[in-house]
Amino acid sequence: MLRFGPDAGPVVIAALPLFEEANRTRAFTVTILRALAERGIAGALPDLPSQGESVRPTHETTLPILREGFAAAAASLGRPAFSLTIRSGALLDAAAALTGRYHLSPMTGADLRRELVRARQASARESGQPFDAASIDTAADPVELAGNMIATQLLRELTDAVPVALATRTVRLETEAKPADAKLSGSPLWRRAEPDNDIDFAARVADDIAAWIETCAG
Amino acid sequence: MQPDGYHEVEETVRGVLRDVLGIDADRAAKFDEATPLFGALPELDSMAVAGVLTELEDRLGIVIEDDEVDGDMLETFGALTAFAASKALT
Repeated sequence: MLRFGPDAGPVVIAALPLFEEANRTRAFTVTILRALAERGIAGALPDLPSQGESVRPTHETTLPILREGFAAAAASLGRPAFSLTIRSGALLDAAAALTGRYHLSPMTGADLRRELVRARQASARESGQPFDAASIDTAADPVELAGNMIATQLLRELTDAVPVALATRTVRLETEAKPADAKLSGSPLWRRAEPDNDIDFAARVADDIAAWIETCAG
Repeated sequence: MQPDGYHEVEETVRGVLRDVLGIDADRAAKFDEATPLFGALPELDSMAVAGVLTELEDRLGIVIEDDEVDGDMLETFGALTAFAASKALT
């Protein structure tokens, strides 16, 4: 687990999006956590089961395993914890004991499934290999979607998975149509094929998180 | 005649191509109706198309069905804008 900032006070623990978007947003997330450290707020970035340095194969993970992993990482900090989730990371903080949840551009499991299938269909068109979207619900073995081997159980769990709305601040890009508690300017780094960073956007997120944590502390 | 809001949709499409494909702002600003896209922009491969469509949905609050996606709508900047406007402005 990467740690940032002071040894006392509240700590912000980050959950990256699932699958490919984790690679695209990791540097950005670390930039936000460093910016929070500069504002006197501690941060942590755990590797969840099958993510990052974890030895568990990607196709052996499920939503409960990921949520338990995040909850255990948050509990191990031994301090009041706030989550910072990006995109489908918002589906991972449900089981954790948190003072508050900060969801940046959250999405539902159904949205994520749709995007995975759309990307898979795009590559199927390119390679000329047919792909039947219904097969992801009937397959017994892990399915390859957008370069990831995914357990069919996880795909089923995603069907009705939604972010927890308890003590949650939802923040989106100002370009997004969906409602949010606040909208910030920045670029959707999670869409970029080549990982990129946006230091100004990260600073705006860090400012917003710092102000929100102060409000929560009352 | 273009419907009200057509220009906003056009700027949204331009912003999506810029942000998703990582095209610099000066280059994206020069896109006009006839600018060829799929097959002409090296950044726009089939995976990137999936990202462009999904980002258009997020920004315009529309839903694009997979059977609506064809080569024609991705041929030019004008065609993609007209498609997006037909979804967003009705």
